[in-house]
Amino acid sequence: MKALTSVAIEKALLDIGKPFLDKVSNKLQKKYNCYIPDCYEHPEYLDNVLRSIFGNSTGTVVESIRELLAEYLDDDGIHLLVQKIGA
Amino acid sequence: MQINSTRAHAQKSLLSCIIGIGLLIVIATFLGNDTAKIVTDFTYISVAGTLVVLSILLAARFKKTGSHGKAWLFFLGTAVSWFIAETTWSILEIVYHTNPFPSLADVFYLGGYPFLLCFVIYYIKPVKKAATKRMLIGAAIISISMMLPSIYMAYNFDPKVSLTENAIATSYPIADSIVFIPALIGVILFFRGEVNFTWSLVCIAVILQVLGDTTFQIATFTNTYYTGHPADILLLWSYLFFSFGVYDHIKIFKKVQNNKTKSTMA
Repeated sequence: MKALTSVAIEKALLDIGKPFLDKVSNKLQKKYNCYIPDCYEHPEYLDNVLRSIFGNSTGTVVESIRELLAEYLDDDGIHLLVQKIGA
Repeated sequence: MQINSTRAHAQKSLLSCIIGIGLLIVIATFLGNDTAKIVTDFTYISVAGTLVVLSILLAARFKKTGSHGKAWLFFLGTAVSWFIAETTWSILEIVYHTNPFPSLADVFYLGGYPFLLCFVIYYIKPVKKAATKRMLIGAAIISISMMLPSIYMAYNFDPKVSLTENAIATSYPIADSIVFIPALIGVILFFRGEVNFTWSLVCIAVILQVLGDTTFQIATFTNTYYTGHPADILLLWSYLFFSFGVYDHIKIFKKVQNNKTKSTMA
């Protein structure tokens, strides 16, 4: 499930542009010393990083991640992540 | 912190360039018409060329990936089209000593606008759901109010000005105002985000273009335009704002060395 979450986050960011994925990865690493797959356990890290980059439009990026993970909401970790990001 | 210090440095450099270019054109105008022509035309080629180089760097960084990759390719199209236009204008004016308006240069100036519109549309495409009707209506009202003076002038133009000249001079501020709608929406959408500074600069650049092109239209209709006119200073400033916007984006998305991205896809 951790890998699936990671794929969904990466897919959503790659749809915008590869440098955005790099930027999010770098920020996660610098600020929280973690990687994209770790956002499964720490969705608040991803939320903070996305907000700092996208500002007012964070919600739409979060929405696309949610859409990609919609089928797997029965998993507790994914359910928590979907609830926490962009809340 | 690093982004903030880079941004403060960029702001200082932008201010210096604005003052420098303004003074350069004013001084050249005082030195005579020929000097003003040469200095203004070469300044246009330099700033438009800088914009092309910066756009190439950014388009290469995004490598057609995602919506923004396409957006920056369109922006490169705008920069190249305007660079060709500036070069054509200068050759016609300095080498062939002919009046460059209207001319082939206008084809390239106007040709840049569809690319610019595609750029702003593709850039805000991934976050378009965040745009509200109120935002769209607000931006459209401001845009229409910006193009109204130009449309009014187009209907009350001097009969000595040909219909072609009228149509071309009027189409510039109208095209600028159309591009302004998504540009302003972009500023609102990315407000508080890192990319907001880029968008603010792009939006100011479009506003300066509206002002510059409207001033150019007035000068054309009153037969008072000369190379080095205040309209040129506004248009050169517009190039500066575009360039610094692109530069800021390069800085935000610069490649980090030894990037140990633990990715499942990349």
